[in-house]
Amino acid sequence: MKKKVIALLGNPNVGKTSLFNRLTKLNQKVGNYPGVTVEKREGTLVHQNTKYHIIDLPGTYTLYPNSLDEEVVYDTLSDTKGSYHPDLVVVVAEPATLKRAIVLYQQVREMGLPAIFVLNMVDEMTEKGISIDFDALRRLLRTEIYQTNARTGKGIEELIAGLDNDPSLYISTFQVPAKYAAALVDAKRLFPLAKEYSTWLNLAQENSKVLTADQRAGIVQIRQQYGITPQQLQRDESLVRHEELDRALEQIVIRGENKALTTTAKIDRFLMHPLIGYAIFLGVLLLIFQAIFAWSAPLMDWIDNSFSDLAAYLSAQLPEGPLSSLFTEGIVTGIGGIVIFLPQIVILFIFISFMEETGYMSRVVFLMDRWLRPFGLNGKSVIPLMSGAACAIPAVMSARNIENPKERLLTMLVTPFMTCSARLPIYIVIIGLVIPEGTFLGFNIQGLVLFGLYILGVVSALASAWVLNIFIKSVHKSYLVFEIPTYKMPDWKNVATNVWEKSSGFLIGAGKIILAISIILWVLGNFGPNDRFYDAESYVATEQPSLEGDELETAVASYQLEHSFLGYIGMGIEPIVRPLGYDWKMGIGLISSFAAREVFVGTMAVVYSLGDDVDIEDDGERTTLFERMKNETNRNTGRPAYNFASGISLLLFYAFAMQCMATIAVVKKETGSWKWTLIQLGFMTGIAYLAALVAYQLLK
Amino acid sequence: MQKNVNLGSLITGEKAKISQLDTESLPAKFYELGFVPGALVEVKHKAPFHGPICINIIANNTLIALRKSEALRITAERI
Repeated sequence: MKKKVIALLGNPNVGKTSLFNRLTKLNQKVGNYPGVTVEKREGTLVHQNTKYHIIDLPGTYTLYPNSLDEEVVYDTLSDTKGSYHPDLVVVVAEPATLKRAIVLYQQVREMGLPAIFVLNMVDEMTEKGISIDFDALRRLLRTEIYQTNARTGKGIEELIAGLDNDPSLYISTFQVPAKYAAALVDAKRLFPLAKEYSTWLNLAQENSKVLTADQRAGIVQIRQQYGITPQQLQRDESLVRHEELDRALEQIVIRGENKALTTTAKIDRFLMHPLIGYAIFLGVLLLIFQAIFAWSAPLMDWIDNSFSDLAAYLSAQLPEGPLSSLFTEGIVTGIGGIVIFLPQIVILFIFISFMEETGYMSRVVFLMDRWLRPFGLNGKSVIPLMSGAACAIPAVMSARNIENPKERLLTMLVTPFMTCSARLPIYIVIIGLVIPEGTFLGFNIQGLVLFGLYILGVVSALASAWVLNIFIKSVHKSYLVFEIPTYKMPDWKNVATNVWEKSSGFLIGAGKIILAISIILWVLGNFGPNDRFYDAESYVATEQPSLEGDELETAVASYQLEHSFLGYIGMGIEPIVRPLGYDWKMGIGLISSFAAREVFVGTMAVVYSLGDDVDIEDDGERTTLFERMKNETNRNTGRPAYNFASGISLLLFYAFAMQCMATIAVVKKETGSWKWTLIQLGFMTGIAYLAALVAYQLLK
Repeated sequence: MQKNVNLGSLITGEKAKISQLDTESLPAKFYELGFVPGALVEVKHKAPFHGPICINIIANNTLIALRKSEALRITAERI
């Protein structure tokens, strides 16, 4: 079978992803480009004895990259030896911004790559008041032009059939401005075999990965010698091409009234209004929060119950022993602890991709940029920060489309301060324990405290961005320029694919880590260094001979825990957590919840000898956990372990601390740097410790 | 009324013809998005407190948002 690599290239918002989904159906996977963390979407298509490997390149306006996403485009196209170097480039355009797509097309052809041209969204031509002379356009581009509507599937068959054709010969039309001719002649000596335009690209690229160190040095020298900068070259190329195309397209594209823009303008009168626009955005945010918390609750209960049922079933079926308990308490509980967040993540991403698909997200960026800029962030940081309220993992990943590296880094560093859903179980339990019930100005006090903790998350994210902004140096000047697309109905297929990718990515990525930690915790809690652990029964029997039945069992279990590896670790760190008002048992909770915050409640349940499957949604069991925790005394102070001071201290600790292995892993992956990952871990834990310390010492 | 102004000082609804871009500080992306000398533009929306500005590039019939700090570097002629 023949094999052919096809790359889809185009501006953002031209329906490239819909087209990709149409071409590959479900034969696609998402990975990363080698060495960078830009998402690589690839898929396969088999047609008439040819296997097409299709790559959906990130959307870009130019071959001169301004962001990580765009860098990948140029690298893929220019690296002739790379395994993703395309045999055919499919340039995707939409009628309203045809000219921009043609610029990309010309650049690709002049690099020497075969390309065909797809005009997507042809159904919108009438509405947008555009008519095109396709014969003339075909002559201009010297390639076949396919008209598609990726949403309905119109024209896809013809396009697939056309993937096998070789485009006709292309002659470069780009006239290098005379003032650069001499520099180009010099540069050609460095690349004797390259096409003239490829040489020009090398000269005009700020930083090309495909060049050798010698070539790069040569380029820098030529630029210095002639006193030219990459920006000048890029700008002049852009001007030359646009002027030339304006002339060429005058007879080919006829524009009438753009009705889509008229409708969009009507909607924008509200959504981008300096007052109403913000009110609506606030409403949308409230709706998303409501959905994440209220709508997901029944699903989360159901998942929780199913996993406890499964654990119960397994423990009944498996022969009793350490293996059975590893399965039921370690693995099943561990997996359950991940799956339970799935409903919230799915709901959040349905909203986010809906907002992206309709075009509303660009308006949010427009509205919010002014308010985030003082903190060194960018309008586009809204998406990660908002997503952070559900889960920091997908949120950190969504920072990818921020062009400025500094703003992207800052966003990723502060996003984990946002109150994610994993903090919620801890907040609920601790607030229930230490905050009195009752009302203040008609509001439930416990509810107010919870709300305050959410506000604290936002404030600490912004404040730390502000501080970090002072210390981090910027390589690139910060700027923001982006297209605001016309409103469209979302392509539900794209929404579904996006939600599926993000949630399965979370499940597998975070799942691996949480699973591993659950097993480690289980091992540490179920083995001990000496016979006090293995022979706990006789020790308890000698110390407290009066105990029998359930009481004896409870005492043995808690004696065992105290002398397990986990127990010794807890007591080992006690001196560190004592100033915060915690005892060794809470220390264990702190350590184990380093894997993931939500582990805290489960661990405390084990520690207080309740068995691992406490369901905080279930009133009966909650009372028992609550009662236990309420009656627990801190043996250092002789006071209740969960009093007002230590409770507030715990709440603050969890509000600030980076207690999430999965987030650490994602931040490492996305920043590509251990340095920033560790700095983040350090400052979050530092702030958490200090805040908890000050709170406890003041309140005790 | 002054004819030559920067893009940032136009008010919503005003139209102008772009005359020049401060090329040292603006990346080529601005050109690709349609901010080229001679292009006719209309200010569509302005976010409050010197927030971003949304501009219609009339020839392309597209809406582009940019920060005020960058709009100040684009000179235009009121029409």
